Amino acid sequence: MTTFAEENSGIDLFIPKTYDIFWSLIILVILAVFFYKFFLPRFQKIFDERAEKIQGGMDKAAAAEKEAAEAKKKYEDQLTQARVQASKIRDDARAEASHIIADARTRAEQEAAQVSANAQRSIESQQQQALVSLKGEVGSLSVALAGKILGKQLESDAVQSDMIDSVLGDLESESADKN
Amino acid sequence: MTGSVGLSVLTAAGGLTLADGPSELPSIDDFLPPEILFQGTPFAMNRIILIRAIMTVVLLLVFGITAKRAKLIPGRWQGFVEWMIEFVEYNVVYSTMGELRGKRYVPMCCTIFFTALCFNLCGVIPGFNIAATATIAMPLMFALWTLVQYWRSGIRSNGGLGKYLKKELFPAGVPWPVYILLSPIKFLEIAVIQPGALTLRLFANMVSGHLTLATALVMTDWYIIQVHNAAMVPVGILWFLFGFLMTAFEIFIAALQAFIFSVLTAVYINSSYPEDE
Repeated sequence: MTTFAEENSGIDLFIPKTYDIFWSLIILVILAVFFYKFFLPRFQKIFDERAEKIQGGMDKAAAAEKEAAEAKKKYEDQLTQARVQASKIRDDARAEASHIIADARTRAEQEAAQVSANAQRSIESQQQQALVSLKGEVGSLSVALAGKILGKQLESDAVQSDMIDSVLGDLESESADKN
Repeated sequence: MTGSVGLSVLTAAGGLTLADGPSELPSIDDFLPPEILFQGTPFAMNRIILIRAIMTVVLLLVFGITAKRAKLIPGRWQGFVEWMIEFVEYNVVYSTMGELRGKRYVPMCCTIFFTALCFNLCGVIPGFNIAATATIAMPLMFALWTLVQYWRSGIRSNGGLGKYLKKELFPAGVPWPVYILLSPIKFLEIAVIQPGALTLRLFANMVSGHLTLATALVMTDWYIIQVHNAAMVPVGILWFLFGFLMTAFEIFIAALQAFIFSVLTAVYINSSYPEDE
């Protein structure tokens, strides 16, 4: 319930009371000290720490990225080197293989030629032998055959030999004609 | 006020039941409450000062614990407090006077902003129902602090009291006869008008806010409960809606006045610096 306004008129609102000033001042000083000395420094510290941490994290990430890039480059270089080496080894092997094949072929051809030449030679010598031995046997056979035909032994060796020669000469000319 | 007093008297005398009006309408007496502690001494406390003291303890505890427990990775509440600090730092101080000059005034503007905000909000806190800044002394202390601060920075940055006064009272580029009129006005401005305007703006906002809000709630109570008349209930509901709206508005005003006070502090300090710096 309001009372009559003799004690409190409107202007009283704007005249600060001593005790009001006292308490306002005390409270303001306490709050100012709190904000100046504790609250704001504390948060400033947090802000700084956070900025540092973020900065540090970013630096670390950048370093890691750089390191990774370097490692990648290294591995790629190694890979390229290995590829080059492998293809070189392959080429060498292929060259060697064709070399070996060519050698083998040459050697085989030489051997084959050798074998066929030997065979040729042995055939020729055998033919020669056969001719020689045939020549002797044909003579004695002819003599025996002629003795039986003539019914008598040819007395002299000279006659005998002449006869054989003439017969052989006939045989040879005959075979020459046949051929 | 006289009207309500008249009505109350009438109620007591004539016993009118319906049209006499509520007896507890707010008045300026709400801002001049009786001393309830240490009566008659220079440290007497009345209701508003008690609210102020309680709010101070709450503020110290809440913000003290927040700061004490502040972590590198903030939670929601810490994020909100940090947002307010950065708001004062960047939007109040740095945007007014730049980072280089403003750095040393951040704590001051923070103190004023946070304190004024919390004290103003007491006006809508149930049980308090009146802003802790709703006596003239509290806004006056803020304003005097601002006054001292801009005189100090003016004297320091201009290189002496004489040079500061010369810069303030005799601005260059004005023909000398004008100084006869201009200089006293300029002096009044930096000595009385600026702090006075700061004080009155905050105080008057809190007074009018309380009067409006309390009126709305008293009327609600009157029309819904006191008159015992169902026909009047909708009127009471309208008053309640008005009170609801005013509560929201007062929260906004609490923040706005804290912001304006701290911005003007920054502006006054900034204008005390020499022009050509």
